[in-house]
Amino acid sequence: MTEVHQSELDLSPRQNEAGRRAPNRRHWGAIIVLVLVLFAGGVIVTQFLTSAVDYYCNVDEVGVRDGCDPDRRIRLQGTVEEGSVDRVGSATVFTISFNGVTMPVRYEGEPGGIFKECIPVVVHGEIVDDVLVGDRVEVRHSNEYLSVNDERVADAVEAACEGGS
Amino acid sequence: MTSTDSALAATPASPDESSRHGTGTKATRVLGVATIVSMGWLLVFGLGFSPADRDQEEAVRILYVHVPTIWVAYLGFAVTALCSGIYLFGKKKSLQLDRIAGASAEIAVAFVAVTLAVGAMWGRITWGVYWQWDARLTTTALLFVTYIGYLAVRRLGGSHEQRAKRSAVIGLIAVLEVPLVHWSVRLWRSLHQEATVLNPDDGVQIDGLMLFSLFVGVIAFTLLYAWLLLHRSRGMWMEDVLDDRGLDDALAARRAEAGGRPSPEPAGETS
Repeated sequence: MTEVHQSELDLSPRQNEAGRRAPNRRHWGAIIVLVLVLFAGGVIVTQFLTSAVDYYCNVDEVGVRDGCDPDRRIRLQGTVEEGSVDRVGSATVFTISFNGVTMPVRYEGEPGGIFKECIPVVVHGEIVDDVLVGDRVEVRHSNEYLSVNDERVADAVEAACEGGS
Repeated sequence: MTSTDSALAATPASPDESSRHGTGTKATRVLGVATIVSMGWLLVFGLGFSPADRDQEEAVRILYVHVPTIWVAYLGFAVTALCSGIYLFGKKKSLQLDRIAGASAEIAVAFVAVTLAVGAMWGRITWGVYWQWDARLTTTALLFVTYIGYLAVRRLGGSHEQRAKRSAVIGLIAVLEVPLVHWSVRLWRSLHQEATVLNPDDGVQIDGLMLFSLFVGVIAFTLLYAWLLLHRSRGMWMEDVLDDRGLDDALAARRAEAGGRPSPEPAGETS
């Protein structure tokens, strides 16, 4: 058996017929994915810093808390007051409250999700003449899950409306 | 045989043998049957016995997929970090640890994708929007993207040991995002609700049958994770053996060219 010393081997990368190294598609794919990941990561971190930190202001913080100025676009969180929901033409009007402070809301259209009275919502919009003119309503459902038939439901609904979370 | 090797003791002896039998063993078949049974159990409780919610009505049933998948994803990322740590700081550098870490991350990323997809559907029904850049959703998206990056790094090339070392470092750092995701709803104001089950505050109410269905979901998806982990880590082992065989064949061809003789040599085993 002929022994071949390692130094005798030609270990240079093998070339194909055209004289080029065969491309390693697997590695290029990984590099492209990494570039996309870095880009997506940058977008996500930017969104986090501009949007996710303190997603909303509570109703009682308007004009009080830094970043909750009434003369700029705002996301306002409060509980929909019982008996306040009404339709005026194509708009839905209602009142949200938090810690005893209320804010009337006018939203063009019908709010989506599980919007109803006594449920916390986040309204995106601008305050015009002491009315929050919203262009988006998001429902913040609680972390409690009760059966529709549960006898505690009536108490929970009552507490939600009274509490103005 | 190391402890991690023994964990996969039923791994077929070679890829050729595996091609005849696949990555399955008697144990994985039992695990697979248990997974199917538990998924059926989840369907019965999730869609049948558990009641509708007072606010969300039937949409609450998404809970039984949304929450278990993210919990099992957390588990998967923790397993990746654990195996990465043992590989980096342990005495024996078993590549099997690296393969379990990689397989676990792959499955966990898939589970996060499911969490995000069903979460978007749930959000549309309850919040009224598919997506918002709030703290929970944003940190979860970052977690998802980070681990896609981890999986891409695993495919950058080099030796198996280089792959294991660099991905282990990332696996250990990336897992720090998991508590950030979980606690994001308490650290920052979020559209997403706070935790119900793993909430340090007492008095968070959940219906008994809903809680039980959630528990069934956790069992079902944990079994699915374990079944996928065994199959995928064995698949990765086969890929490594084939990579080694390709390298050995190339070296044999070069030796044959230099020595003027054809000498195909058998591939060595990947530890």
